[in-house]
Amino acid sequence: MQPSSRKTPTLGRLLAGLCLAVSGLLCSLPVSAADILLTGAEDSPGVQSFTQALSELRPSDSVRFKLLASLPAPGKLPSDTRLILLDLPSLDWRLQDSQGPATLVLRISRLQARQRLNNLLPSHLSLLWSDPPIERQLRLTRLILPQVRRVGVLYDRHSEFLLKELRLVALPLGLEIVTQRWENTSDSRPLQALLKNSDVLLGLDDPDLYNPKTAKNLLLSSYARQMALIGPNAGFVKAGSLASTYSDQSDWLAILDDLLDQSPASWPRTLYPKHFKVLSNPQVARSLGIEQMDEASVASQLAEGERRP
Amino acid sequence: MSFGPPSPRSPLLLALVFSPALLADDLFLDSETLPQVLTATRLKQSPAAVPGSMTVIDSELINASGARDISELLRLVPGMMVGNITGNQPAVNYHGTNASEARRMQVLIDGRSVYRAGLATVDWSDIPVAMEDIERIEVFRGPNTVSYGANALMAVVNIITRNPADSHGTRLKVTQGQRGINDFYASQGTGWDGGDLRLSLSGQQDDGFDSDRTGADYRDSRRLNRFNLAVSQTLNDSQSIDWQLNAKDGTNQRPYTYRPVFSGITAAGNNSDVVAKDYAGSLRWNLDINPEHSLYIQGSAQHWDRQQTWRACDAEVSFSPQLTDLWQLSPNYAERLARNMERYTGPGAPAGSPAERALGNQVLDQWRNGARQTLCGDIDQSARESRYDLELQDTLSLSDSLRLVSGMNYRYDRADSETYFNGTLDDTTWRTFGQLEWRASEHWLLQGGAMFEDSKLTGNSLTPRVAVNYLINPRHGLRAVYSEAIRSPDMFENNVNWSYQVTNLRPSAYGQTSARYFVKTRGPGDLDKERMRSRELGYNGYFAELGLAVDVKLFYDEITGMISEPLRNNQYIASNANNSRFSGTETQLDWRLSNADRLRLTYAYVDAKASNPLDQLQTARNSGSAGWLRNWGRGWNSALFYYGDDALNGYRFERLDTRIAKRIGLGKANLELAGVLQQRLDNQPTTFVDNNYDERRVLYFSAELAF
Repeated sequence: MQPSSRKTPTLGRLLAGLCLAVSGLLCSLPVSAADILLTGAEDSPGVQSFTQALSELRPSDSVRFKLLASLPAPGKLPSDTRLILLDLPSLDWRLQDSQGPATLVLRISRLQARQRLNNLLPSHLSLLWSDPPIERQLRLTRLILPQVRRVGVLYDRHSEFLLKELRLVALPLGLEIVTQRWENTSDSRPLQALLKNSDVLLGLDDPDLYNPKTAKNLLLSSYARQMALIGPNAGFVKAGSLASTYSDQSDWLAILDDLLDQSPASWPRTLYPKHFKVLSNPQVARSLGIEQMDEASVASQLAEGERRP
Repeated sequence: MSFGPPSPRSPLLLALVFSPALLADDLFLDSETLPQVLTATRLKQSPAAVPGSMTVIDSELINASGARDISELLRLVPGMMVGNITGNQPAVNYHGTNASEARRMQVLIDGRSVYRAGLATVDWSDIPVAMEDIERIEVFRGPNTVSYGANALMAVVNIITRNPADSHGTRLKVTQGQRGINDFYASQGTGWDGGDLRLSLSGQQDDGFDSDRTGADYRDSRRLNRFNLAVSQTLNDSQSIDWQLNAKDGTNQRPYTYRPVFSGITAAGNNSDVVAKDYAGSLRWNLDINPEHSLYIQGSAQHWDRQQTWRACDAEVSFSPQLTDLWQLSPNYAERLARNMERYTGPGAPAGSPAERALGNQVLDQWRNGARQTLCGDIDQSARESRYDLELQDTLSLSDSLRLVSGMNYRYDRADSETYFNGTLDDTTWRTFGQLEWRASEHWLLQGGAMFEDSKLTGNSLTPRVAVNYLINPRHGLRAVYSEAIRSPDMFENNVNWSYQVTNLRPSAYGQTSARYFVKTRGPGDLDKERMRSRELGYNGYFAELGLAVDVKLFYDEITGMISEPLRNNQYIASNANNSRFSGTETQLDWRLSNADRLRLTYAYVDAKASNPLDQLQTARNSGSAGWLRNWGRGWNSALFYYGDDALNGYRFERLDTRIAKRIGLGKANLELAGVLQQRLDNQPTTFVDNNYDERRVLYFSAELAF
């Protein structure tokens, strides 16, 4: 990145602000500057950079981050605030109060939502799923491994509810879902049994099953059988999974930008991000004898497929 | 507002703002730090990029074959010549050479060589590993001293046991059947935070072959027990240790093969059985310095104990000091006299030098004066061998396309045998090796390396190896390989000092109850290494849409300086005078027709030419195997295998094996019942004339409970 481009946002913001001000004056159009409030239990460089990026993206809005601890009860916040929650503690805080502004919940997976909300979805919340959608992951599998038929899936009592949907989605893709319950991850027999009956392993974003402790066993065992793991997230691809779809900050900013343009009344109750990328592990692909994939082109093929299923 | 800057929301600007440098702080990428597991140093080449020919016998094949021995599994490897010296002594050679000694193949268990330190053999039946503990067998078909050290001359058999982490739970298995087959296996695997363990106990028994060439009962049964403990422990994110303990104890029957030298001896012993004990321990420390750099240090200790004491009978004159002197003076003369004593009793010693004749006549005098009487005594042919091995191997990924594997190895071998070495003999070997893999482009892969070895007894050597792979695409590759390899003569070939001190003599010999037999054989002590040059052209491909994996190779191998003389206590004069050449082609095909069916075919055409006719004997010009595995559903599985060699040591071998298994779920447990039927399709002995079965068919059953 050249130094000049780093300056661009600042310059751009100034000019854009000027432009908007001028247009507001000239055309007397009502400029409704929204108050966008982000909150989370902890501040971090990631939070700061996200807040900063969002405010640069929406110069006409007031974008700020406040620590959860410093906020009053949700019902005490102005009702026209657009509230964005960045973590689970902030969701817990939001759930105490049925009153309050319309809220976008980021960084929450289907699994976490089910544990927190138990299938009840308060009307003032919009949940933006952090886990890669199952269908997208299956399409990815289909695209990069066209010969596989049997997709092995490990699950536990928390992720079991996803299986029905998984089977439904797999059917039209011509994939067979082979499932295996894995409650005790220190016992590797279920994993071994599944590897015997599958052509590829698909990881559900279930941190009980896919975590730093299980990563070694999962990846080494499947690799020993020359079997690829797809998913469950970008972090696992770096650890040795073959590929996964994921959405990063830039994708989420684009999605938020769209949503914030709309009135909160039209926000969807739940949403999988339509902006996403594909990450692959070229070294693992090479070792498994799989063609190097062009991540961008795979992502656009997937996106194309989603637009015209 | 056409003069304004691009909208801050434009994708271009977004892309500029969220440069990769910012991704480190990306709120939406998993903040949880995952270890990089499949690192550049851990990943292996895809089959099409392997610098040579490889056959992998996976656990599905191992199970489906119903094989009770590792050597039997090797029938699935194209070009592998699997025969039997006796029922408990398999003889396995890649492409061929001598049928009674398989000296030119390296055999490793989890990286530890089980090629015996002193006696240049692999005792297949005594390898302290149960079939049930084997995860897979990788056979590198061709020389590869660069990766596996000297003695990886013709092929390398790498036996990989199941990872303790993959062996949790309890397994109990019993196998019983005809020909005295009676095996058991029991294992227990468990895991704890960061560690796993597997303990297994196993045993094997059978009667071996039924009858020798005369139709008499053949003494070659075996009975053995094994103990194995494998533990792996993660120390932290970058370090782990694996250790193993193995022990095997058993008895291998051997027929009494001593033929009296002197005429008129009718008394004989009835066996030369061996009590064979093998012990091994290894410890390996793995260190991942970073994802691009890892190393391990492995230390192992092994001990082979072969106790072989038997009673033999011959004439008293066998212990004559004069005959012993005569043998030292002229083995040929001594043998001629000894074998024809009666003929020379009248006319006196045969023509020769004055010294030979003088000693010969003294011996004849003794013969006439009663030394023709039969004596029986105990022969102790026991040998104890030990090996200590320390290896450091370093894998460094210099870039995405360049990887260096290098290392050092120190080995200490000791053999202790009164009979073979008149005491103890030892050797130390240092070696250093390096191999570079360079992915020059998407299509070209260049791999080369060399090994330098220096051994106290046989000096030093340098062996290079170079391979070029052209990858048509990641699944299809062509290869050209040139490699050189050496085999050091072992202690036995080079340094044997073979003589028998016979004890418990009855009646006594020349007044002694313990005396030294007149024949004494010494190795030349200056043998050079055998040298092999191998050239190979090959193709490896995987047709993903068909599920078909194919490998074809053409080879031309030459061995020069070959030590071909059989190891016999009868004027053993080893030399590097021989050579041999093997050329031909091999094919292997593994086809997963569907989720239920798997078809596997191997075929080898080998043309052997050797200066010593013995080295051509264990080569079947045409050999191969065919297998069909099917999963019928509802727990039923079947496998059908055909194995054929057109002539191994002159005998045809064709066999059809069928295994039918049914898996029954019993709550959390699984019971598998299986029956194996092996049907010989020919009527010939197996490899040697004394290896005969009464029935061409054998049937055995197994029951395995896992929970």
